[in-house]
Amino acid sequence: MKPSAENEMTDQIREQLSALLDGELPPDEMGLLMRRLDKDPGLRRTFGSYALIGETLRAPGGRIASPSFAACVSAALDEAPVLVEKASAARPGAMVQARQHVALWKRPMVRTALAASAAVSAVLLFRPDVTPVARLEVTPASSFAMSASPTPAQSQRLAGYMVAHSQFSTPMVRRNVLSSLLAADPGIARVSYEMGEAPWQ
Amino acid sequence: MSRHAMRRAAVCVAACLLAFSARAEDDARAWIERMSESLATRNYDGLFTHSTGRQAETMRIVHRVDEGRSLERLVSLDGSGREIVRTREEVHAYLPDRRVVIVEPRGDDGSLLKSLPTPGPALDRNYELAVGPKGSRLLGREVRVIDVRPKDIYRYGYRLWLDEETAMPLQSVVTNGIGSPIEVIRFTQLQMKDRIPAHDIEPTVDATGFQWVRTGRKLAAMPQLPSKGGWRPLRLPPGFRLVASRLQPIPGSPIPAQHLIFSDGIAAISVFIEPGAQAGPRPPETSSMGSANAYSTNLHGRVVTAIGEVPAATVREIANSVVPVQESDIPADAPAGSAR
Repeated sequence: MKPSAENEMTDQIREQLSALLDGELPPDEMGLLMRRLDKDPGLRRTFGSYALIGETLRAPGGRIASPSFAACVSAALDEAPVLVEKASAARPGAMVQARQHVALWKRPMVRTALAASAAVSAVLLFRPDVTPVARLEVTPASSFAMSASPTPAQSQRLAGYMVAHSQFSTPMVRRNVLSSLLAADPGIARVSYEMGEAPWQ
Repeated sequence: MSRHAMRRAAVCVAACLLAFSARAEDDARAWIERMSESLATRNYDGLFTHSTGRQAETMRIVHRVDEGRSLERLVSLDGSGREIVRTREEVHAYLPDRRVVIVEPRGDDGSLLKSLPTPGPALDRNYELAVGPKGSRLLGREVRVIDVRPKDIYRYGYRLWLDEETAMPLQSVVTNGIGSPIEVIRFTQLQMKDRIPAHDIEPTVDATGFQWVRTGRKLAAMPQLPSKGGWRPLRLPPGFRLVASRLQPIPGSPIPAQHLIFSDGIAAISVFIEPGAQAGPRPPETSSMGSANAYSTNLHGRVVTAIGEVPAATVREIANSVVPVQESDIPADAPAGSAR
């Protein structure tokens, strides 16, 4: 069946998304794509899926950060092959390597292996110009068990505090703090503790 | 070689090592200052991934300098649609998943240079600073790797990959006390531009019907605390000092919270003291957001919350040590009053 003009346009945009993440999107196409991303929540979700897959492949040492992260990756992989394959078809020359890996993802064993242990060599597939200057394994910041999701009131209160606090952070730290606020609700642990002297006393 | 000559040689070597170390730290400090200046004073538009132990998200940051003011839009591209926009006067956090917009007045006075952090000469008392050699590459660009390693366990470390030409951080990693990464920000695209259109800073969220929560107002319009004196933590990690204090309105409450801000030159910790312990957590709560941790508890009939980009134990200990103080107890050099 001959693809419709709308589908062709979608494929073209998806190809641009891939190119964007690969660092291969021409600068003159960047502005229009950014405006599309701003306006189209569906496109943002697709882009998020692509990015998540890329992040998984870049995961240092092939380790996924957490079970929930692995679940997100698995969900993203469920929809990824079709999307990427269409993009590959639209520009076969540029995406040939990606298509080979899409085929691999369709195999359950390989999908599981990818979610559990992405190969470091795949980093170079998505970002061939990047020298892997460090292998990073991200661990949770807090040693406390995250036992509860915050209520809306708790979430709003903490968000307000985060915004107020960020005003007094350095530019780099402010970006980190606000990115954390955008990323998700905090995990809240209700803890019991005994009053004691501060360790720096 | 005589004993005297050996001693002189040893002294020379030690002096050279000290000089080399001091120069390296000066270089690192200069790179950090350049980075901060670039982040605050350049026009740029970039995409980056924000990864923590729990998740990874893609975000876009657009930073625009307009008539000496730093304007910015930060947006999540991964579904939640949350956006944070720093306008000329306020910071707006759009949370469409909560149908809430949080509004906070800008904490700076509009001067870019005044809003820049000052790492200061005391930075190396709490951090070891080092600059990596030339030759590393990231995003196809030459970068310098800057290490900021904490000398104790009460703060985090940073590893920064700074663009050799612009000092923009193409990748930054926050590390815990044993050097393990806990938060990674890595750009996949970054464009430095001469000009950013004004509409690129405008929010794309349709906030119709959202609840607008104003968490702060200008100090002149603020009610005053009911009594003199204030609140202070008795215990602070070495190197942290009070850099500002202000009154923070609480939505729905006629009495504001006291907001104290402490900094060691890189990390900042805020302590909020709210009236009315009945609104507080029981038992205490620890929250984690990326590399930021928060701890809330009830003390002296107040809700005390400490939040900062430091380990959970640090904010917990600071919050637990908060006590009421009289004006005479507050050190003369503490800039009590307004940060505005």
